[in-house]
Amino acid sequence: MFRRHVLYARIRALAPLALMGGLLLYAVIPWLPISTSARPPRTIVLYGFSILGDALNKGVFPAFQKEWREKTGEHIELVSSFAGSGTVTNQILMGVPAQLALLSLELDAMKLADRGLVGPAAWHSLPHGGIVNRTPFIILVRPGNPKHIRDFRDLGAPGVEIVHPDPLTSGGANWAIVAEYGAGFREPGGGAAGGFEVLRGLWRNVVAQAASARAARTQFENGFGDALVTYEQEALYDLSRGKLKSEIVYPRRTILSEHTLVRIDHNITPSDKPLIDAFVRFLWTDAAQSAFLRYGFRSVDEERNGHFHLIEDPFRVSDFGGWKKAKAEIVDAVWKARVLKELGK
Amino acid sequence: MSAVAPRVPDSPARIARSRRRRESKAGLPVGILLLVLLPLLLMPLGAVFVFALRGGLPGFWRAVRAPEAQFALRFSLMIAFLTAGINAVLGTFAAYVLSKYRFRGERTLGIVVNLPVAIPTVVVGTSLLLLWGPIGLLGKWLDPLGLQPMFRPAGVLLAHLFVTFPYMLGTVKPLLDELETTYEEAAYTMGAGRWTTFRLVLLPALRGGLVTGALLTFAHSLGEFGATVMVSGNLRLRTQTAPLYIFAQFEAGDIAQANALAAVLAALSFLIFFFLFRYTARAKKAA
Amino acid sequence: MSIVLDQLTKVYGGRRVVDRVSLEVGDGELFVLLGSSGSGKSTVLRLIAGLSRENSGTITLFGRDVTHLPAQERGVGFVFQNYSIFRHMTVAKNIEFGLRLRNIPSAERRKKSDELLELIGLGGLGGRFASQLSGGQQQRVALARALAYQPRVLLLDEPFGALDAKIRAQLRRTLREIQRALKVTAILVTHDQEEAFELADRIGVVERGRLLEVGTGEELYARPQTFFVATFLGAGTVLHGRCEEGRARFGTLTLPIPSDLPHEEGGPVRVLIRPEQVVLGEGAPERAPVLGRGTVVEQMFSGATRRLRIRLPEQAGLRQIFPVAPFGETGTLVEAIVPSDRTLPEEVDVALKGWRVLAQPQPRLLVTTPGTEWTEPVAFATRLTRDVGGTLAVLGLAPDGEDVEAARKEIREKLVENDAAAADVKVRAGSPTEQILAEISESFYDLYVSDGRLDGDRRQMASGSEVLERGRTPVLFARGVPRAVRSILICTAVGEPGRTDVRFGGWLAARLKARVLLLHVSRVDADSTPAWVNAHLERGVRTLHALGVQGDAQVRPARTPLEGILAEARTGNHDLVVIGRHSGPARSVRGKDDVTYQVLRSIDRSVLVVPADA
Repeated sequence: MFRRHVLYARIRALAPLALMGGLLLYAVIPWLPISTSARPPRTIVLYGFSILGDALNKGVFPAFQKEWREKTGEHIELVSSFAGSGTVTNQILMGVPAQLALLSLELDAMKLADRGLVGPAAWHSLPHGGIVNRTPFIILVRPGNPKHIRDFRDLGAPGVEIVHPDPLTSGGANWAIVAEYGAGFREPGGGAAGGFEVLRGLWRNVVAQAASARAARTQFENGFGDALVTYEQEALYDLSRGKLKSEIVYPRRTILSEHTLVRIDHNITPSDKPLIDAFVRFLWTDAAQSAFLRYGFRSVDEERNGHFHLIEDPFRVSDFGGWKKAKAEIVDAVWKARVLKELGK
Repeated sequence: MSAVAPRVPDSPARIARSRRRRESKAGLPVGILLLVLLPLLLMPLGAVFVFALRGGLPGFWRAVRAPEAQFALRFSLMIAFLTAGINAVLGTFAAYVLSKYRFRGERTLGIVVNLPVAIPTVVVGTSLLLLWGPIGLLGKWLDPLGLQPMFRPAGVLLAHLFVTFPYMLGTVKPLLDELETTYEEAAYTMGAGRWTTFRLVLLPALRGGLVTGALLTFAHSLGEFGATVMVSGNLRLRTQTAPLYIFAQFEAGDIAQANALAAVLAALSFLIFFFLFRYTARAKKAA
Repeated sequence: MSIVLDQLTKVYGGRRVVDRVSLEVGDGELFVLLGSSGSGKSTVLRLIAGLSRENSGTITLFGRDVTHLPAQERGVGFVFQNYSIFRHMTVAKNIEFGLRLRNIPSAERRKKSDELLELIGLGGLGGRFASQLSGGQQQRVALARALAYQPRVLLLDEPFGALDAKIRAQLRRTLREIQRALKVTAILVTHDQEEAFELADRIGVVERGRLLEVGTGEELYARPQTFFVATFLGAGTVLHGRCEEGRARFGTLTLPIPSDLPHEEGGPVRVLIRPEQVVLGEGAPERAPVLGRGTVVEQMFSGATRRLRIRLPEQAGLRQIFPVAPFGETGTLVEAIVPSDRTLPEEVDVALKGWRVLAQPQPRLLVTTPGTEWTEPVAFATRLTRDVGGTLAVLGLAPDGEDVEAARKEIREKLVENDAAAADVKVRAGSPTEQILAEISESFYDLYVSDGRLDGDRRQMASGSEVLERGRTPVLFARGVPRAVRSILICTAVGEPGRTDVRFGGWLAARLKARVLLLHVSRVDADSTPAWVNAHLERGVRTLHALGVQGDAQVRPARTPLEGILAEARTGNHDLVVIGRHSGPARSVRGKDDVTYQVLRSIDRSVLVVPADA
């Protein structure tokens, strides 16, 4: 009896030590020489904007990894970080060791060029001007579409609560604003006034702004708001996994967002250059584009997009003179200077 | 028996009754406290576990077993161990210097070393970036030489050392202040050198403070977010700590993934603090 | 010799906290350093142990110069007042600590600690922790711990200071027994004279960093040399007088000066009278010197004996400096002791069956300073103190409510800055005049250096005239600071004041190695100098020569004494003018219009006024 008591006391006293020792062992095992059979594999460091995470980590990269191994026998790893496009851009400006960046906005790529991190418009020399895929902006609504939303204009109806990403940090938000404005603009008899009207109506109903498209999506998923303006890809990807708990509404007129790849050459050592080049080229191959399709993106090759919902009047940012012009004339001059001011936000 | 009952000294039964009454009185304040704590602390923590286990135990297990999750947890633990170890030495040294020596600017230094608790961790992260980052004051010159701690594990470690520095100081210095100088001098006269004295005489006297400080440092490091998010670069499988992983997963909508690791972290913190409380309670009883 | 200290000095904050201490302690001796707190006795101990570093001097332990060795290599045992038992170790582990450092095998350590535990009377308690022991037990453990590795020197710093009386007595006995048994040489520091008497083979008395006297308890009690030792050990009365013609003179009483304590003619002299040396009664025993007739003012019954205090009326040339007389008391209060059963009349004759003339004290000077400026009087007093080889006290007068400690610190810094760090700093708050008078009555001073102004701004500073009117201390009115005092003019009148001024001025001149001119002013219309004036001057010159001073006398005719004095001061270019001052009723009759004040008002150089009853 007494012995058992002593034993118990000893166990009690040793428990914290055992816990900490166990944790230490658990933490260091991967770094112990026994488990690291060879030197660490070469890596590609990629920073991307939020919605590309799974498509790259699970779809595109494993395909490239396999191809590269078959070709060279070398095992490589992808090191990636995904956040809002603006956040990623700022991180790169602060000096994170990104070798490749997949940005939502060409505007962000221009920002990198302005600071001399990449050559001016260097991405234009890549296939398709650096654009790896597209996806249109759509509206997500609650099942059964209780608020009867059919188009962007309907989002301005009273009583509709909208979750929207924040244009300051999110590339998707900027796309959404151009989509919303463009929809009104391109209505018959719409023009600038029509665009302004749609924007104002919609933004009056915005109840939450999230830092990235992904975050806005998470908020909406958690039951917040009646409608979310987001990438079609997100909805399709969830649909494919059986996780979509809302309905997709295709506006008649909407923008096709285009996602730009940027190489940050000063983070690429000469020995890594062939690997990076190969991966960049790979992004436009059938294998990669198929992977993007699997994850809900539309391919840069229009012929492969047949199974997607047909949008009546799709447009691109080039229809508004490219991102520089669109940013200045729509996002800044209309949305920021007029809509926000009028709504007092 | 007369009409007026004589006043008897408190019988055991009466004492027991009065104690019972005190216990029943305690019910109300305790109830209020629980009512306040329930939505404030207990329920949110409970929600983490509920969501973590929504996919059943196998789902939880799968989520925890994900390579990114495993890496994040290991990486966090590793950083926490290193932080606790390094700050145990640095903090004890700082406590020794501040406690035993009198010098000009001593008070200012005392305030400065305690500053990290008062600075928002995001500011700590920013300040580190602005010093060591590739465009920072020092980093600008070091980066071309290939010395770049930011966005690497070293950067995370630096941030954690910075943020948790005051813990050791706070637990060790009071103990040192309490020890008379003659304590050390007694050892000197018996023939013990400075190091031997430190090892055999001072260190054992500081043990309680060291354990407490190290555990606090460890726990804080394990959960550190604000400074880490600034300096780590948030690269999965490379510099992503457990809290960053949880945040990234949550942002990406993988709530189950996020909660699985969150539950593990919460459980770890609970265990650490449980041991800490038991240790301090025992130390108090011994003293 | 086990322990030899040679000229050991430690300076801290500009002050010598240990001042040229030299000492030899023999093998197996238990030596006690006795002193009040802050005297530097503990610092001496710490220097020996190597816990503090000396500024100069050497320490030799058993023939080995350890001055530059760290504490670890000196091999001494040290016992602290606060025990400092290591809390996380058991008693046995504590005792074994020194042995463990010396790599003694554990079995042997165990044996040794058991032995020591028996020796200190704590057998079987080796497994305890400090928190489970009483203070006395902890100190026993500390003693055992310091002895475990058999050091040849044991140092104990107020080891019983934190314990109550009964336990202290027990521990003293234990310490004495163990020290004898182990034959270890020990130095113990204490402020408790009873402890010193009980434990010590020899005692050294420390004050202000100086080792004043060394001797057995009996020697120090019966034949102290210094005022401090005389009053620190045991009770008694100390009287202050002047050395005249080779004898110590205290008012009407003269006593021989022992040959081993040379005294300067004209200089101060002090005698210690223990209570048991005072004989009371009607008439005096044969050959016993008589102090005077006094009244019993206080009686204190203490068992077998009764302690008395006898008041004797004021006498010129006699001052009591210990015990400090109550403020305003001008007579002498003598302490005596008689058997309890003896009854005494109210008035008794006081005679002495024994006494001890103390070594001649250093001249003590006092100067006051308003605030912390480096004023003319302070500069003069500093210079004078250095030149006469005396000690200086600087009294800071803080207005009521001001921070006394801050003022003390500032004055000390100022003194260090001006190379006068040896001076004492005292700060008193309250009315300046009252504070100076209180200071003069509480401690004895040979000379007060005052502002040169006659009627100073009283809120700022007590004027010297006030001190002169109400005290018996000579006052020097400082006007300018001479580079050195080379020539002194003593303006002597005939009669009573003409004696003390010559003696005091002459003694000062001897110390300063200055020339003296004795001046007597005669009336212009007188035909010739009267013979008694010449006789007086001749005696004066003889006195000066006896003091070893080069002195001349001069008679100067003038219409008034003032005129003569002013003329001589101008032509003779003297650095200091000394003038006497009537005492007693004569003073109050003449007020502030007598020659002394006329001279003070009219002359532009420093003037020393010597009261006749100084």
